[in-house]
Amino acid sequence: MTDALLLRGLKLAPFFLACLAACAQGLDPAALRHAPTDTWPTYNGDYSGRRFSPLNLINSANVRWLTMAWAFQAKSQSIKSTPLEVNGILYFTVPENIWAVDARTGRQVWHFHYRADGGDRIGHRGVAMWGDWLYFETPDAHLLSLDAKDGRVRWNIVLADVKLGYFATMAPLVVGNRVIAGVSGDATDIPGFLVSVDPETGKEQWRWYTEPKPGEPGSETWPQNSDAITHGGGMTWMTGTYDPGLDLLYWGTGNPNPVLAGDARPGDNLYTCSIVALHPDTGKLAWYFQPSPHDTHDWDAVQTPVLFDADFKGQPRKLLAQASRNGYFFVLDRTNGRHLLTAPFIENNWASGIDPRGRPVGLKEKEPHADGRLVFPGSDGATNWMSPSFDPALGLFYVVARRVYSIFYYTATGKPEGWAGRDHDLWAESTIRAIDYQTGAIRWNHELGPGESIAGILSTAGNLLFTGDAQGNLLALDAVTGQTLWHVNAGGSMEMSPMTYLLDGRQYVVEGVDGVLYAWALPEK
Amino acid sequence: MIRCILCMSIACLVGSALRAQPRAPSREQKEFAQSCGFCHGEDATGARAPDLVRSPLVNRDAGGDLIGPVIRGGRPDKGMPAFSLPDDVIKDIVAYLHQRVDEAARSSHVGYDYPLARLLTGNADAGRAYFNGPGRCASCHSVTGDLAGLAKKYPPLALMEHLLAPPGGAVTLTVTTASGERISGKLAHLDDFTVALRDASGWYRSWPRGKVKVSVQDPTAFHRDMLGKYTDTEIHDLFAYLESLP
Repeated sequence: MTDALLLRGLKLAPFFLACLAACAQGLDPAALRHAPTDTWPTYNGDYSGRRFSPLNLINSANVRWLTMAWAFQAKSQSIKSTPLEVNGILYFTVPENIWAVDARTGRQVWHFHYRADGGDRIGHRGVAMWGDWLYFETPDAHLLSLDAKDGRVRWNIVLADVKLGYFATMAPLVVGNRVIAGVSGDATDIPGFLVSVDPETGKEQWRWYTEPKPGEPGSETWPQNSDAITHGGGMTWMTGTYDPGLDLLYWGTGNPNPVLAGDARPGDNLYTCSIVALHPDTGKLAWYFQPSPHDTHDWDAVQTPVLFDADFKGQPRKLLAQASRNGYFFVLDRTNGRHLLTAPFIENNWASGIDPRGRPVGLKEKEPHADGRLVFPGSDGATNWMSPSFDPALGLFYVVARRVYSIFYYTATGKPEGWAGRDHDLWAESTIRAIDYQTGAIRWNHELGPGESIAGILSTAGNLLFTGDAQGNLLALDAVTGQTLWHVNAGGSMEMSPMTYLLDGRQYVVEGVDGVLYAWALPEK
Repeated sequence: MIRCILCMSIACLVGSALRAQPRAPSREQKEFAQSCGFCHGEDATGARAPDLVRSPLVNRDAGGDLIGPVIRGGRPDKGMPAFSLPDDVIKDIVAYLHQRVDEAARSSHVGYDYPLARLLTGNADAGRAYFNGPGRCASCHSVTGDLAGLAKKYPPLALMEHLLAPPGGAVTLTVTTASGERISGKLAHLDDFTVALRDASGWYRSWPRGKVKVSVQDPTAFHRDMLGKYTDTEIHDLFAYLESLP
C-alpha cells in the first residue's frame, strides 16, 4: 500500500466503521475496492468494468449441461438492466420499476413502481447500492434512494429539468461516500453533466459539466461568440469505472448537439464523445481523450472504459481500453490518458486515418448532408451500450461488433436545433470479436448473422463467454476459440448484459430476454 | 432496421402522393416574425437577442404562463422593451414558440415526404453510364422492364433507399438431407442451429443445421455487397438517373 493509499484509508476509516455496524445485510462500500468473487454488487460487477467473473464451476467442459434454474416473469418492457446480486437478492429494473428477487428461486421479494412526470422510457440499466440503500434514476431525471429491504423511498431529488429534455436511464456508481449519477437526452440542445451526491442525504457534492465554461481550457474547441458551447450536449448515460489505487473515476461522454450539425459547431467540441478521468472527491478533470472529435454521427463514447493492469509492448502498464461506437478500439495509459493504441475493430468508411494523438480523422464528405451520405457504421454504432468484456488470463477484449450501413440526411435549412436530421438504416449484421489488446488484431470472429445484436457480454474463468445473437438465441462460446458450446432459443431478444454469482456452492448466470429474467445453472446433484 | 423497412413499405403504398410542397407561413409565424423576429430571428433561433427555441423559459412555459408576462412586461435589465399586444396575438406567439420547440425536439424524424430537390445533386447521364457499366445494374434490371415508372411508384427518399437496399423477402433455400433428398422453398428461418423453409406445397419444414446441407439464393446479396463499395457520387448519379426515367 502506498502512502497516499494509506492516508486515504485513514481518512475514510470512521465512515467504514460506521457502515460495518449498519451494513450487516447491506453492502459495505469499502468492499467494492476489491473485486468481488461470488457476488455482483455494481452494474459492471466490479469497478474495473471487465465483466469477467473468476467463477469457473460452469466451464467449457460442462456448459453443455447448462439448464434453467428459474425464470422470473416481470411482464414488463424489455429488460436492459444488469441485476445486482447482494446477500442472495437480485435487484433489477426497467424504466419506472425495480424488482427485488430471491437469487436462489426467482421469487419476488418486492416490486417498486414510480410514476414519472414525462421524460423518456427508452430503457433502464439498473440500480446502485450503498449500505442498506438503493439508488435509482427515473425517466423524469430524478434520483431516488430506497430501502433495499422493502423498496420504500427514503428521498427523491431532481437531477435535471425534464422540461428541458433531460431524462435518465443509467445505473449510478457508488465510490466511497459518493453516488455518481449521469443523465441522458440529446433531442434538445442541453449540456451534459455528471453529479455526485451524498448517499445518506442526497445533498449534491459536485457537478461536472461536459462542456467547459467559456474561457476555460477546452472552450477553444467550440465556436466563439455563439451559444453553441452552452447547448453542446455530451450526456453521461452509461456507468463509468473507478481505480481505487489511482483514485480516479473514468467516464465516457455522449455526442455533441445539435447532433448531425457539424457546421454549427466547428472544432473538436470538448469534452463530448470523450473518455474523461475525474477526481472523485472534487469532480475536477484529471485528463481526457476524445475517441470522436467533432462527432456528427451520434457516436457517443459512453462504452465502458475497461480497466486492467497488463504488459503493453513488454512494459507493465495500468491500461484503459474502450471499443467505441465509432468502430475504433482504443488503449490508453490510465494514469495520464496517454494514447497507446488505436485500431478499427470493424470496417468503416468515415475516417481517412488516425492522427498522431491516436484519434480517427473524419472525412468531411461523410458528414451528414441534405442529399444523403452512405456511412458505416450508422448512428446505431459499431457497438453501443451492450457491454464488452475483458479476459485478463487470455488478454482478449470481447466486443459485440456490428456492420451497420446507413444513410445520413441533414435536414435543417436555418439554424440547426436538436438532431437536425437522422440516418436511416439500410442493412446490418453482427459479430462477436476477440481483440488482442496489444495490437488490435482480431484473434477470433464469431458471425451472428443479419440484424443488430444488442446483447452484452460476460466472460468467466470457466473459459466461457455468454451473450446472445440477433435471432433470439442465447449463446455460450469458448473464450479461446469463439466456438459455440451451448445455446438455447429463449423466445425473444436479449437486450441486457449478463451477470453471474455463486450461491450455496452453485454458480448461476442470469440473462434477460424481453420481460423475462432467466437463471441458468448446472443440474443439481 | 425493421422500423425503416416498414416505413418504406407504407411510403410505397402512397407513392408520389407524398411529394412535398413548401408550406406557406402560418398566421402564428407571421405574428411572431412581425413582433419578435427583428431581435429573436424570424424563426425564433436568435439574432440580436437569444435563441428562443433553446430558451429554458420557453421550454418550461405552459400555455403562455411564463412567456406572456415577459412579452407584456419586457426585460428592461436585458434591453427588451414591454410589448402591449392584444391577447390573441400573444396567444399566437406562444403557439408559434411551442411549435418551434416541438419541431426541434422531433428533428430526428426524416419522413418519406422528404423533398426531391434536396436529393437531386447527381448527374443523370453519369448515372446511366454507371447503370449500364461498372454498377452492373443492367445485368439484372431493365429501365423499360422491372424499373419502368419507378419514380412514380416511390417517394424520392424511398427510391433512394430501395436502390441501396431493396426490401428482402425473395430469399430461397435448398436443403439437402443426409439421405440425399433436396427440398427448395422460401426462407422461413436461418441461424447457426436451425434452417426452416416453406416448401412448394406451402408447408413449413425445419431441420437441425448440422444435419443437412444448405444453399442460399439471395437475389439482393449483390446490393448488400455494394454497400461497402459505392461512392456517394455514384449513388446520387444513379438516383438522378432513376428519377429521370419515364
